[in-house]
Amino acid sequence: MKPKDRRAGKLLGLTGHMQAIRSGIEHIFKPRMTVLYPEVLQDLGPNYRGMLKLRIDICISCTLCARICPSNALKMVKVDVRKYPGITYQRCIFCGFCVDICPVDALEMSGSHDAACYTLGEQVLKPEDFSKDPVIEDKPRVKPLFDEKRGLRYESC
Amino acid sequence: MSEEQTLELLIGPQHPGSGHMRLVAEMDGDVILNFEPNIGYVHRAVEKIAETKTYVQIIPLVERTSLPDTANHNLGYVLALERLLGIDAPLRAQYLRILLAEINRIHSHLYGMGIHGNMIGSTTMLMWAFGDREPFIELAQRLTGARLSYSYIIPGGVRRDLPQDFRNDALKALSYMERRLKDYDRIFVHNPVTLARLKGVGVINRIDAARIGVVGPNLRASGIAYDVRKIEPYCIYPDLDFEVVVRDEGDAHARLLVRIGEIEQSISMIRQILGKIPDGSILADRYLDLVPSRTRFEKRSSVKFPALFSGLKPSKGEAVSRVEASRGELFHYLVSDGSTHPYRFRIVTPSFKNLIAFKHALLGQKLADIPAVYGSLDYFPPEADR
Amino acid sequence: MNVVEQLLQILLSPTIIIPLIFPGLLTTFLVIIFIAWFERKLTAKVQLRYGPLYVLKSLGGLPQLVADLLKFLFTEIIIPKGSDKKAFILSPIFLFTLSMLPVVAIPLSNSYAAFFSDLSLLLVLALLTITPIFMLLLGWSSNNKFSFIGSLRDGYLMMAYEIPMFVSILAMAVAYDTLDLVQVVGRQSSGLWGIALNPLAAITFFVAMLMTTARFPFDVAEAESELVIGPYTEYSGIIFVLCLGASYAKLSVLSLFFAEVFLGGWNPLIWPLTLNPILPGVAVFVKGLLVMGLCVFMRSIYPRFRIDQVLKLGWHTLFVLSVASVALSLGIVWVLGF
Repeated sequence: MKPKDRRAGKLLGLTGHMQAIRSGIEHIFKPRMTVLYPEVLQDLGPNYRGMLKLRIDICISCTLCARICPSNALKMVKVDVRKYPGITYQRCIFCGFCVDICPVDALEMSGSHDAACYTLGEQVLKPEDFSKDPVIEDKPRVKPLFDEKRGLRYESC
Repeated sequence: MSEEQTLELLIGPQHPGSGHMRLVAEMDGDVILNFEPNIGYVHRAVEKIAETKTYVQIIPLVERTSLPDTANHNLGYVLALERLLGIDAPLRAQYLRILLAEINRIHSHLYGMGIHGNMIGSTTMLMWAFGDREPFIELAQRLTGARLSYSYIIPGGVRRDLPQDFRNDALKALSYMERRLKDYDRIFVHNPVTLARLKGVGVINRIDAARIGVVGPNLRASGIAYDVRKIEPYCIYPDLDFEVVVRDEGDAHARLLVRIGEIEQSISMIRQILGKIPDGSILADRYLDLVPSRTRFEKRSSVKFPALFSGLKPSKGEAVSRVEASRGELFHYLVSDGSTHPYRFRIVTPSFKNLIAFKHALLGQKLADIPAVYGSLDYFPPEADR
Repeated sequence: MNVVEQLLQILLSPTIIIPLIFPGLLTTFLVIIFIAWFERKLTAKVQLRYGPLYVLKSLGGLPQLVADLLKFLFTEIIIPKGSDKKAFILSPIFLFTLSMLPVVAIPLSNSYAAFFSDLSLLLVLALLTITPIFMLLLGWSSNNKFSFIGSLRDGYLMMAYEIPMFVSILAMAVAYDTLDLVQVVGRQSSGLWGIALNPLAAITFFVAMLMTTARFPFDVAEAESELVIGPYTEYSGIIFVLCLGASYAKLSVLSLFFAEVFLGGWNPLIWPLTLNPILPGVAVFVKGLLVMGLCVFMRSIYPRFRIDQVLKLGWHTLFVLSVASVALSLGIVWVLGF
C-alpha cells in the first residue's frame, strides 16, 4: 500500500511555509506537556513495578526469588537461623520476577522508585531493612489522565 | 598527491551528531568520497552473558539490546524459547503480546522521528515526538508496570492482564496520536526546508536495498514489501487487517513517510486488537497448573510464575524466531544442550543489518547529509552492537 | 573643578554615551539578555515545555543568561596547543566589537547619533561586512577541522547574503533618494513606511538578515549535529560568550536598522516628542525587538538548510528578488516622483 502524500502537492512552496508558521503560532497557545518533575511527582499507579518490600513474617525462605533474579540483586542472607532475601538496589532492574515467582506473596512492589542514596551502603538492604516500607517522598503528586486533545492531562491528587 | 586533496573527518564518538560510534568520512570539499561507520562502542556481550543465565533470566537481558524497542525483542526471544519448549501461549495472551508490540512500535518510531528531526535541526520535532511518546509509555506502563523495560512476555503467555479502563484510555491516546500526526505534517514532514533536506538524499534503490540486505522500514521505503508480519506471520498477525507500507523513492524522506505510515497502521491494529480480544487465560495451562491454587491467575490480574521458571530446561535442540521489530527483521537463534542455560544464543538485530546502508547511501552526498541520512535510517547503535 | 567638569562633559557627550550606554554596549547587553531568554522561552512554548524557569521563578527565568554568563566567566579558557594563540584570543574580541560598532551610525532621533554622516545607511552595512573576516580567522586559528569547515561555511554564507542585502538597501536608497538614516526616517513620516513602500526589499533584507545572524533555517555554520558548534568548537569561557554574543549583537544592530529603514524608525512620533532622544529611542527599540522576536521564532519552525541550498537560495531567489525590488523602487520614484 502506498500512503497518500497528505496535501504534499499543495504544500510545496509558500503554502508550506505558511502552514508551518501557523502551526508554530497555534502551539504557543496550547497547554504544556511537561510535569515539573523534582517538585511534582507523577503518580505511578497501583501496578507500577517500583521498589520492593519483604514481608518477613510470611517468607518461607524457599530461595526462589534469589534464584530467578536476573541481575543477582536479591541474595539470601542469614538472619538468626533462617535465610531471608536481602536486596542491592544498585543492581536491581525492577523486573519484578521475584515478586511473581514468590509462592506465598511475601514480596510486594511499591509505586515508588526514587532510589537515590547518598552512600553505596544505603543501597544494600539486609532482610530487616528490606521488610520496612520503602521511602516515599512527601511531595505533591499528579495523576496522568488520558485525553483526546492533549494526550495526557495531569491532575493533582 | 591525491591524499592531500581529501580531508579525513572523524565524527564521534564524542560528537553531538554521531551517536555511540565513530563515523570516518573521507571528504573532497563538501562531497563524501568514502564513509566508514566504526561500531562497537556499546558492545555489552549480550550473547555471551546469555550463556551464563537461565532461560527466564535472559528475558530482561535481551530487552537491553534495544531499549526503545523492548517488547519486540522480548517477543522474539520468547517465541524462540517457546519453540524450544514446545509450548503455545493462549489466544488472549497472544493478543496482549501484539498489543504491547504495536504500542512499542509507535513509541519507537516516534523516538526515531524525534532524533531525525533534531539531527536536521528541528528541535520542535524532537520535543513533540518525545512528548507524544509519553501517552504510549504510560499505556504500556499501565499494562506492564514498567515504562520501557517491560519484561512482559514470558514463555507460555504474558504476565499481566488488561487493566480496567485500558480500552478507553488506549482509544483516547490513539485518536490523540492521529491528530498529532497532522501537526507533524505541518511543521516538519512537509515543511519546505525538510523537503529540501530529505528529498532525493541518501537514495537506496530497490535492487541495491535487496542486495545489501537492508531491513525494516528502510527496505520498504525502497519499494520492497517485505514485512515478517506478512511473510511469516506470528502470533495473531494473520487475524489482523493491516497493510505493508511501501514507498518507491528510497530516499530519506520516503523512510520518514514509511515510519509515519506504520504508526497509522499500528494505530489501526491496536483498535482491532482492543475490539476483538477474546476472554480467557493469559498463561498456558501447563504452567498454570504448577502454580499453587491460592495464588492462581483467576483471582488476580497478574500471573504467578511456577517455581519451574527458575530453572527451565528445554530439551536438546535448536530454535529460531523471526519477528518484525520496529527497526526491521529481528532474528533469534537459540541452542539448548538440555541444561538450564542456553548453549549458544545469537541475535541478529535490524540495526546491524541496516548499518551497511550508511556506506551505501552516503557516497557522493554532502557533509550535511550525514545526519539527515543517519536519522532517516533510525539506526540505534546499542542495538547493533548488542 | 575645571578638570572634573571637563571630564564629565567628555563622558556625557554623545560620542561616549551612545557607544557605551544607549543604544550601545549596555543597552545591547540588556537587549541580548532579553532576546536570548525570549528565544528560549518562545521555542519552549511552541514545543509545549517550560524553558528557563528556575533563575528567579517569578520572572520566568529571565536572568538565566546572566547566570550562564557568570558561569562562563569562571570557566577556564582552554587554548588548544596547535592553535594560533594571538588570533585565537583576539578574533572573538574583534568579532564582537565589530558586530556592535554599526550602532554608532544608527540615529535614534533627528539629533541623537554618535556619528552623523550622510552615508550612514552604507556605513552600517559596510561595518557589518568586516565581521566574516574575523569569523574566518577564528576558525582557521582554532586548528580544528570542524571549526575550519564551520568558518568556511560562514564565508560561503556571506557570498549568499551580502549582495542581496546591499541591493535591497540600494532599492530603499533609490526610493528615499538619500543615504542618510535620519532623512530615511524623515521620508517615512508621511505614514508610508518602507515595508509598505517596497515589500520586496523588506522580505529580501529580512531573509538576508536571518542569514547574516545565523538564525534558523540558515544555521549552517553552527550546525550542531554536523559541526559540533562550527567555528567556536574549540572555544570556552568568556571568549566563547563573545563569539555567541556577536551573532546576537549583529541581530540587535540589524533589527534596529530594519526598524529604521522599513518600519518607520521613530515615526509616528512627531516633532516636539522627538527632541528628547529617549522616547524615539524606545520606539525604535520596540520595533527592533519585534523584528528580533520574529527572527528567533524561526528556530521553532524550521530545520536547517544545507550550505549549497543556502547559496542557491541567495543567488537564485534573493538576488533576483533584490534586483526586482530595485526595479520596483525605480517604478515608485517614476510614478510618485519624489
